[in-house]
Amino acid sequence: VRPGLSAVLPSAGSGQQSVTGVSAADDGNSYWRVRGRTAAVCERGRPVRCGQQIRLTHLGTGRNLHSHRFASPLSGNQEVSAFGEAGEGDYLDDWTVVCSGTYWARDGEVRFQHASTEVFLSVTGEQYGRPIHGQKEVHGMAASSQNNYWKVMEGIFMQPSEVFKAEQYHAEL
Amino acid sequence: VLSDEEKRKQYDAYGEEGLKDGHQSSHGDIFSHFFGDFGFMFGGNPRQQDRNIPRGSDIIVDLEVTLEEVYSGNFVEVVRNKPVARQAPGKRKCNCRQEMRTTQLGPGRFQMTQEVVCDECPNVKLVNEERTLEVEIEPGVRDGMEYPFIGEGEPHVDGEPGDLRFRIKVLKHPVFERRGDDLYTNVTISLVEALTGFEMDIAHLDGHKVHVARDKITKPGAKLWKKGEGLPNFDNNNIKGSLIITFDVEFPKEQLTNDQREGGCLKAPSRQRGCTDLSPE
Repeated sequence: VRPGLSAVLPSAGSGQQSVTGVSAADDGNSYWRVRGRTAAVCERGRPVRCGQQIRLTHLGTGRNLHSHRFASPLSGNQEVSAFGEAGEGDYLDDWTVVCSGTYWARDGEVRFQHASTEVFLSVTGEQYGRPIHGQKEVHGMAASSQNNYWKVMEGIFMQPSEVFKAEQYHAEL
Repeated sequence: VLSDEEKRKQYDAYGEEGLKDGHQSSHGDIFSHFFGDFGFMFGGNPRQQDRNIPRGSDIIVDLEVTLEEVYSGNFVEVVRNKPVARQAPGKRKCNCRQEMRTTQLGPGRFQMTQEVVCDECPNVKLVNEERTLEVEIEPGVRDGMEYPFIGEGEPHVDGEPGDLRFRIKVLKHPVFERRGDDLYTNVTISLVEALTGFEMDIAHLDGHKVHVARDKITKPGAKLWKKGEGLPNFDNNNIKGSLIITFDVEFPKEQLTNDQREGGCLKAPSRQRGCTDLSPE
């Protein structure tokens, strides 16, 4: 399931734009940009550490992956929505990358834990009806389970700068 | 109407640069534009008949660049992992459309019905493929300029993939401010330097030093123009803008002691830090 942005359905809880899961690999609405947490600058190409806080900004709309204490429409878990303008929202856009090891490896599985409310980004299969039929609900859950794990698929990856590559070599020694 | 549509497609795909260079997405389009739709094939390419080839969406990514990169240029390596339509065994239905069928019920009586009619196409499946792209940050590049990579956007099973476009976003710099091809910076000098003159080196974006020397009085807010020490012009890298240095004068924080008033500070040479320590020599 790839998280995309459903433009049509404002959520019953908060009125913000919904984030839904789609299965198609060719959905252009599923690109999210990994950026530093709110008000921080993150250098281009710098690998993300496990435990680092980030924001996920939707490419088409400039809204950030966001969560707050509202119930999600289908499952009653915590709502995950899209918030902000041109990449700027608020501290509820911050998520911690949870993974084992030092850095978020491109082919590794990671979890996203909401920095403020500590729920994990999850999909458990509930599907919407019209007008976004078949799209799945993306929500936040407190419990750890296999539904919290995410992997990177398609994307555009910035290579680390030369300086960083040397540092990483030393760390592994 | 046709030519406007063509230009719009070019503009969408390639940005302003593409419009100037006259990039063409396919041979057939340009011929149709001039000669109209005669219905005969150029080189037997069936694509030309259908001008509305479905296209995957474009992906526009902000590429953040530092002012140092704008000054000296840089190459950014990017890995693109994308789903690609690859041939699979079997056939699939494609180009489905609604058509009107006329059936004869009897002499002089006809019935028209709508039918969904599909073509048969080779089956495709989406496979993830990866390749390395190199984005060149050209010296003098400006905010908003785009570097397109044709076909690296979203795929479309029935048509062409969209494009991947990198949109330049120049980050704020802690020391220099960019205005067009000019650079602005602020330098603080001591009161003594303001009155008696000074010499200093300012480190530029690529590390080279800009030498500044004054032997006259420098008032707070005074500006010094250094021609050729700005940013290279995007269209002609040999032309550079100017570096404009604005001087701010730092007054001592505490009142002068009697000894200092006698003249210890004014006689001693001092640098940018100025006479804040004000210890008589």
